[in-house]
Amino acid sequence: MADTDSAETGTETESARNTSPQNGESGAAEAATEASETASTPANAADERIAFRGVFARMLVRPEIGAAIAATAVWIFFWSVSGVFGLAGGTASVLDVASTLGIMAVAVAMLMIGGEFDLSAGAATGALGIVTLMFVRDITGEMGGAGLSLWIALPLSLAVALGLGWFNGTMVNRSGLPSFIVTLASFFILKGAKLGFAKLIVDQIQVGKMDDLEIFAADRGGDKGYGFFQPIFAAEWDRTDHVWESRDFLYTVACLVGLTLLVLALYEMRFARKDKMNPAGLAVTLAGIAAGIGGVLYLHGTDGTSANAIGAAIIGAGMLIGFFGLAMWRYQPLSDKGSFSVSPGWLAPFGAGLGALALAVLAARSLDAQNSENVTFLVTEQGLRAILFVGLAGAGAVLLLMASHRAGIGSQLTRSIVLLCTAGLVVAIAFFIRSESASPKFRTEVFSIMLAIAALMAVWAIVTLFFAERRYPDAPADRLGRLLIAGGTLMFIIGVGTRLLYTVPAEIEAGISPAKFSVRTLWFLLFAGVCTWVLGRSKFGSWVFAVGGNKEASRQIGVPAARTKVQLFMLVSFAAWLVGTLLAFRLNTIQASTGDGEEFEYIIAAVVGGTALTGGYGSTLGAAIGAIIMAMAAQGIPSARWNSDWRFVFLGGILLLAVIANNFIRSRAEATR
Amino acid sequence: MTDTESTSSSSGTPLLELTNIGKFYGNIIALNGVTTHVEAGKVTCVLGDNGAGKSTFIKILAGVHQHDEGEFKLEGEAVRFNSPREALDRGIAAVYQDLAMVPLMSVWRNFFLGSEPTKGVWPLQWIDKATAKATAKEEMAKMGIDIRDTEQPVGTLSGGERQSVAIARAVYFGAKVLILDEPTSALGVKQSGVVLRYIVEAAKRGLGVIFITHNPAHAYPVGDRFLILNRGQSMGNFGKDEISQQELTKLMAGGAELEQLQGELAAAISGVD
Repeated sequence: MADTDSAETGTETESARNTSPQNGESGAAEAATEASETASTPANAADERIAFRGVFARMLVRPEIGAAIAATAVWIFFWSVSGVFGLAGGTASVLDVASTLGIMAVAVAMLMIGGEFDLSAGAATGALGIVTLMFVRDITGEMGGAGLSLWIALPLSLAVALGLGWFNGTMVNRSGLPSFIVTLASFFILKGAKLGFAKLIVDQIQVGKMDDLEIFAADRGGDKGYGFFQPIFAAEWDRTDHVWESRDFLYTVACLVGLTLLVLALYEMRFARKDKMNPAGLAVTLAGIAAGIGGVLYLHGTDGTSANAIGAAIIGAGMLIGFFGLAMWRYQPLSDKGSFSVSPGWLAPFGAGLGALALAVLAARSLDAQNSENVTFLVTEQGLRAILFVGLAGAGAVLLLMASHRAGIGSQLTRSIVLLCTAGLVVAIAFFIRSESASPKFRTEVFSIMLAIAALMAVWAIVTLFFAERRYPDAPADRLGRLLIAGGTLMFIIGVGTRLLYTVPAEIEAGISPAKFSVRTLWFLLFAGVCTWVLGRSKFGSWVFAVGGNKEASRQIGVPAARTKVQLFMLVSFAAWLVGTLLAFRLNTIQASTGDGEEFEYIIAAVVGGTALTGGYGSTLGAAIGAIIMAMAAQGIPSARWNSDWRFVFLGGILLLAVIANNFIRSRAEATR
Repeated sequence: MTDTESTSSSSGTPLLELTNIGKFYGNIIALNGVTTHVEAGKVTCVLGDNGAGKSTFIKILAGVHQHDEGEFKLEGEAVRFNSPREALDRGIAAVYQDLAMVPLMSVWRNFFLGSEPTKGVWPLQWIDKATAKATAKEEMAKMGIDIRDTEQPVGTLSGGERQSVAIARAVYFGAKVLILDEPTSALGVKQSGVVLRYIVEAAKRGLGVIFITHNPAHAYPVGDRFLILNRGQSMGNFGKDEISQQELTKLMAGGAELEQLQGELAAAISGVD
């Protein structure tokens, strides 16, 4: 079997493949056995009892995916309805809020996965900042404070923090009471102690000031470590100081490479690999890439409508040839394309999608884009138009994708045709947006992104028509796919990060978007990264899931359940210490009420990120994304010129939606496992 | 009835030897004068109706509780465990009916929970996933258990499969004595058969098995020794050659009462006819 298949030339291999059962009536089991018999690499033997899931279903299993999709939607929403949101300045303030919230949310998510809550986490951030300030405070002529060096004060307040976590954890373990009650008590104790001690010692309801260390350094013989620690906790990156003329070149290249890697990952995870590569396909791919690059250069060098159209056509053709060649090179051809059939199953969502798009266009035409007067207490006509258009067009897109999915159940041909129609509609909407919109954001960026998406969809529709879907697990291919996704995401981060961190002379002249990025964002990324690694890969992480999922069982098996819980409480109080320190260096003065009540925001962020309230399930990465969503809401609502009193309505709505969506995704994920 | 205890003493020291074990919760006598032993490669069944003291008995063996009276010898040495971990370290593994697994965690994580294989040096130690998955699959295959996918959550397994994962885990981690707490009580007929086969399989591999059940029909085919408890008291400790299944059933339910019940039932049925 294997000998006949590994024929001399690629075309023969393909024709041999055509006869093998890949699709249609032959069950997944047959395809799987076929594959494991013929695959040259020792693919892990597929089990006929596992139904194979498609590439998108496989991605949805992770708890943070829902949060990532929600974050993208919220971002697009605020970006399209507000002027400054999404520019460097707006992004800086979103990240600033997200960082302190996110550090806490990640720690709280781990605690919640471990099955406990900490209601004192919010008050603890302010309390620990005050503790640090009390230790360093020693102003000539003023009362209060120990006057310690930061070298001593910071470790001391960290010890206080860990002691607080240890106390919470031990109380919960020893008393056997719900952590809700125990930490509610800690919350009140902290809240009262902050106020009491502040009044007792400094006779004020605020404690300060960190930068006195620097101001009075001369009187006190040195700055006591302020010069060392200030940059660590409060350094800022002012983008107007960082001009880089060729920034946009790197941005464009990084985003294009990132996009390509993501698409390659999709191909790798979707199609069935050949056991013998076809080098002719590689040549075709290279020709396609060359055509694409030629198109870009042509577009870059010319101007005018017809030249743009020609350039776009060349790029599109290059993409098609490139990806088709790639598939010829690596993947098995599809023998049974099915026949085109019209069924209500896909026709209904297709019609609904068309209707939604039509309504979106109607809304955009009938409302005045320039009118920034309030039509209601909440929103301007301009804003209403944007909301209606984005919402309806988004719903239309989802419905059309649903239609193509349903159409594909019967035959690949139908799916491809529906997908091509959808791509055509995306192009039409792109041109509509360009003709209607006044802002350059829509006329150039959104327009070209939509054209690129339409092109990728069209190419996908054509390639899926000629190459076979993989219906059996292939671990090496999935691993390569994940690697490509990671690489693509990294390229996007590099590209967008460069664009945010550096400016170009033209922007400075126009006075666009001055922004200061704080080092606290790095702390956030570092903390989230370390926690994610610990939770996913370490022994301790496994134990966290275990004690949250079934404490008694894990204890019986030999997991130190009580110790794990105490360590989790200590992790939360460590995070509170970190946030308190960041606040102390940023604000110099900390109010006695700082942080009170924020514990619920941490919990919301964790839940939005896919963490179960019942414990035993969740993701730190999701919690980090949840914190970013909350920060986007906090910054987006005022920047869309809405009344920010409504922020909490938005938060409540998001929480409810998130819980419902997560529950749905989780049950689907478990059902399809 | 009490002097049937010291009958079939085997050659060499038994794995576990319990003499006159008693346990009190305040003034409540939960367990009194229980005597039995467990040999390597043999199955000792503990039978009793609800409230007979079976749970207290196994919790003492597994280190969850400590005995107040009598002698508990492991391989000839008197012991007293303060925690399940201690008992586990000495080779006594308990598999509880509903507490055995963390349902949302994958099969391989459950299999290695508490004893994960790691790579790297502290503090940079990570779980060796590939080894863990392969070992879990292989070990379960050795017990004759074919698991679909070690990544699937244990909660999606059937009751019998869950028990079998727990048994395979205990065997792999070098248990000498395996305590099974009512492994068949929540299962259907076929699944119970599967679990009973794993019990025999575990005994064949040289483990001493303690099988707690209230179903004599499950206990008799696999057991080599039967300890019968009733209201915290030992009703006897028999070798297989000393007792028949019918006698076992009779003893468990308190003899005379069951006979009376049978009589009444027979009368009711003939009345209907």
